[in-house]
Amino acid sequence: MKTVTHTRIKLSLSAIALACSIGISGCATTQKTTADTANPVTASFVLPSYQSVTLDNGLKVKLMVQKEVPLVTIDAVVRVGAVNDLTSGMAYITSQSLMLGAAGQSKADIEQQLDFIGASINTSADLEGSYIRANMMNKDVDTVLNIFSHVLRQPDFDATEFDKLKQREIVGLSQQKESPRAVIGRYFNQLVFGEHPYANPVSGNSDTIASLSIEELRAFYKDYYQPSNMTINVVGDFNVADMTAKLNKAFGDWQATETVLQPDLSQALPTLTKPQVLLVDKPDAIETTFLIGGVGIRYNNPDYVGLTVVNTILGGRFTSWLNDELRVNAGLTYGARSGFSSYAQSGLFQISTFTKSSTTKEAIDLALKTYARLWEKGIDQVTLDSAKAYVKGQFPPKYETSGQLAGLLSDMYLYGFNDDFINQFQAKVDGLTLAETQRLIKQYFPQQNLQFVLIGNAEQIADVAAQYGEVTTVDITATGFGQ
Amino acid sequence: MIRNIMALLMTLGVLSAPSVSATQAEDINSFTLDNGMKIMILEDSSIPNANMYIFWKVGSRNEVPGITGISHFFEHMMFNGSKKFGPKMFDRTMEAAGGANNAYTTEDMTVYTNWFPANGLETIFDLEADRIANLDINPEMVESERGVVQSERTTGLENSNWRTIQEALKSVAFAAHPYSWSVIGYESDIAAWTLADLQQYHKTYYAPNNALVVISGDVKLAQVKALANQYFAPIPAQAAPKAVRTVEPPQNGERRVFVKKESVSTPNIMLAYHVPATRHADYYALDLLASMLSEGHSSRFYQALVDKQLALSADTYMPMSFDPNLFYILGVANAGVSAETLEQALIEQINLIATQGVTQQELEKVKNIKLMDFYHAMETINGKANTLGTYELYFGDYTKLFNAPEAYNQVTPADIQRVAQTYLIKANRTVGVLAATEESDQ
Repeated sequence: MKTVTHTRIKLSLSAIALACSIGISGCATTQKTTADTANPVTASFVLPSYQSVTLDNGLKVKLMVQKEVPLVTIDAVVRVGAVNDLTSGMAYITSQSLMLGAAGQSKADIEQQLDFIGASINTSADLEGSYIRANMMNKDVDTVLNIFSHVLRQPDFDATEFDKLKQREIVGLSQQKESPRAVIGRYFNQLVFGEHPYANPVSGNSDTIASLSIEELRAFYKDYYQPSNMTINVVGDFNVADMTAKLNKAFGDWQATETVLQPDLSQALPTLTKPQVLLVDKPDAIETTFLIGGVGIRYNNPDYVGLTVVNTILGGRFTSWLNDELRVNAGLTYGARSGFSSYAQSGLFQISTFTKSSTTKEAIDLALKTYARLWEKGIDQVTLDSAKAYVKGQFPPKYETSGQLAGLLSDMYLYGFNDDFINQFQAKVDGLTLAETQRLIKQYFPQQNLQFVLIGNAEQIADVAAQYGEVTTVDITATGFGQ
Repeated sequence: MIRNIMALLMTLGVLSAPSVSATQAEDINSFTLDNGMKIMILEDSSIPNANMYIFWKVGSRNEVPGITGISHFFEHMMFNGSKKFGPKMFDRTMEAAGGANNAYTTEDMTVYTNWFPANGLETIFDLEADRIANLDINPEMVESERGVVQSERTTGLENSNWRTIQEALKSVAFAAHPYSWSVIGYESDIAAWTLADLQQYHKTYYAPNNALVVISGDVKLAQVKALANQYFAPIPAQAAPKAVRTVEPPQNGERRVFVKKESVSTPNIMLAYHVPATRHADYYALDLLASMLSEGHSSRFYQALVDKQLALSADTYMPMSFDPNLFYILGVANAGVSAETLEQALIEQINLIATQGVTQQELEKVKNIKLMDFYHAMETINGKANTLGTYELYFGDYTKLFNAPEAYNQVTPADIQRVAQTYLIKANRTVGVLAATEESDQ
C-alpha cells in the first residue's frame, strides 16, 4: 500500500510471501477460549462453532456468529479457477465481470448503492476458486444480499463495461511488471508446473485478455457458476434463523442446469529432472529479486502442520536461518524467507529474497548453503521447541476477524479438509519430534534439480545465472509470465 | 491504518445499537508512571493473545541534514543488543516465548509492536525494559545493519513508484522543514552514521517520558500495572527533547519535479498541497474531502478518471502529522494518456469541488465508509492498540476520541468547499511526474 512508513521486517517478509503465494490462505482458526491469566498456560485452539445448512436446492451454507463488531461477511466460493481456463485469464476476468452490472442494474448504480452504506462486494479468482465477498454492517444485510444474489446469479456482462475492463486489465498487467515483487511468483509457478494446469497464470496475459469475448464468458459462467459447484459462508453479527431464511429466499430456487466437469489435477504433475534458471531481464533494475525452489505439497497433506514448523526454522520467522544469515549476519538483504504454497493436488516450495545487483551471486550462494543445513546439520531440540512455541503463539490472530474466518471456511470447501485440521493443529505441533523433522526434510523439501527465477539486470547477472542451471532469458515486458 | 483512525472518530453515534460490542471509552484504562511513561490498557479476551505497542515521539522530523534517516536506522538498532539480552537475543527470546515483533518509523514517530500469547506478557516487559534502559550499540551490528537498510531503501525504490516519486516531491514541497526528506533518509547519510550519533539519539529520545505504551488483549489491568511498575518504573526520565523549531514558510507558487524511471509503463502524477497539522480543526473536513475524491468506485476520481479510461487508479493520502504536512494525490495514467492530460484531469476534479461544492448525500456516504473502516480496525486487538495509541498522540488525548463524532458531524458541504478553496489551490501545490521519458522542450 501507499505507506510512508518504514518497517523493520514487514515489507520484506510479507510482501514477497504475498507475491509468491497464489491465493492460498491459511490453515486454521482461532479459539475463543479465554486464557487463565492468573495461571497462564497456552490455551487450546478450537474452531468457533458454526452451523451447516443445506438450502432447498442443495446449496451448502455455513453460518458462524461473531459479535465483536456489527459487521457481516458473506462469501460465495465457486469451484472454478485458472485451472479451468480455456483461454488464459478467463476465470479471473469472469469473476471481475460479475460486477459490471446485474439483473438490469448498471455497474455504476450497484457501486453507488453499496458505497452509500459503506458496504462492498469484491470478486476475485485464483487457481482453483472464484470468490464473491460482501462486507456490510448488519443493519444493511437485506440491501447487500439482494445485490449479492443478483451479481452471483444474474450478471449482465455489459458489453461496454466489458471492453473497458479488458483495456484496464491489459494496461494493468504492464504496470504490475514495473514491480518484480508483484509478478515473480507467476514466473516461478509457470517454470515449475510447465504444461500442467497449475502453471496457468490467473491474470492471463495481454494477448489472451484481448481475445476474450462476452460469449465465451457467458458460456464459462454457465458451466461453473451453479449451486452444485459452490458454497456460501456467512460470518459475523447476525441471527442464524433469520439469515437462513434470507439465504433461502435469495438462493433456494436456484437450480443447477449443467453437469460440472472438472480437470483431474492429480494427473501429469511435474517431475523436475534438471535445474533451470529463468532470467527475467529488467534493464533498469537496481537489485535482483529471486526465488529458488521446486514442487511442494498439497493443502490437505497430513504433514502440513509439521512442515509449517520446520519451515518456520528455515525461513518462516525473523530468526529463521535464512533471515539470520542473509540479513542479520551478512547485511545482504532486507529480508529472506521460505515457504510452501499449497493447492488441492500439489504445491510449491520456494526460498525468496532480493539483493543489490552486485551481490547477486553472494546472496544466492548463501541462500543455498543455508538451505543445505537442513540435510547437513538438521534441527536441534532448542530450536524446535522455540519454533513450536512461535507457531502456536502466532496462530490465533490469523483467525480473529469475520473475513479471516469466512476465508477459512472457503478453503475447507476448496481444499478438502475439515474441523480437525484446525482443532488438531496444536496437538500436531506439540507432537512433532526431532526424528519426525528429519523425515519431513527428507521427504518434502526439494533438494535436487532446483528451479530459479531471477528478475534483474540481465547484462549484469547473466554470468551468475548460468552457474545454477540451464538458463532461459526473457524480457520482463514480453507478453506472458514464463518461457 | 491511518485512515482507520479517523474512522474510529465517526462511530460513537451509532454504538448504541443493541448488538454492538465495540470498544467504549470506559473500556480503556490508563496510568502514568513517575518517570512520565504513560500506559494504556484495553482488556479483550476474544483470542488468548495480547500485544504491546510502544510509541516513541521521534521520527524523521527530529533529524537534521547529515543524519537523515537515523530515526529509522535507530529503529533497527533497537533490536541489536542490550545489557541482559545481547545481540540477536531480543528476537530469539521473544520467539521462543511464542511472540513476534515489528516496528515502523514515520515522519513523527517510531513504533515498536510486539504480538504474543497472553502468557508471554512478562517476557515482553523484560525485553523492552532492558533495551530502553541499557541498549548496547555494537559496532559490528551497526555495519551489517547499514546493508539491511540500504537494501530496504533499494527495494522500496525498485518496487514502489509511490516511494520513488514521493521522495523527490517532498524535497521540493518543503523548503525548510525536516519533512523535506524521506523517512529512510539520504543514501550518503545511511553510509555515514557513527556510534556516537546513535548513542546520543538513544539517550535523547528513548526516555520513558517520551513514550506511550498501549497494551490490548487477554490481560488484566492489575497485572499490567504490576509489571509496569517492576520493569518500566525504574528507568529514569531524561530532559525533554528539543522542540522542532523550523516552521515551513508559506508556498507562494506552484513547484514541479520530474523523475525518470525507464521501466515505468505509463506516467504517474503526484500532486501535493500543504495542509495544517492533524490537531487543526480543518482536519475533519480535509479527511472527508479525501474520501470523496478517492474512496470506492462511486468516488469522483473513479467516476471521472478510471471509468473514463484516463487513469488506472487515482488515490489520496493525508498522513496524520504533528506539524503542517501534505495532502497527496497520486494518479497512474492509462495507456496513451499523457502526463499533462492526467494532471489536468486530476486538478479539474479538485477545482470542481472548490467551485461547485458537494452534496449532503455525498458527505453522508463517506461518513458511512469511514464507519466500516472503523469497525474493521476494531475487529482485532492489533487494530485497537494501534488506533488508540495513534489517536492519543496525534490528537493529544485519546478521550477526545469520544467527542470527535460531533466534530465530524459538524462538517457541512460548505466546509468541504471552503477547505478545497483554502488549501487545494495552485499556488500551494507541488506537482511530481514520474515517467520513462521526459517530455522535450520542443
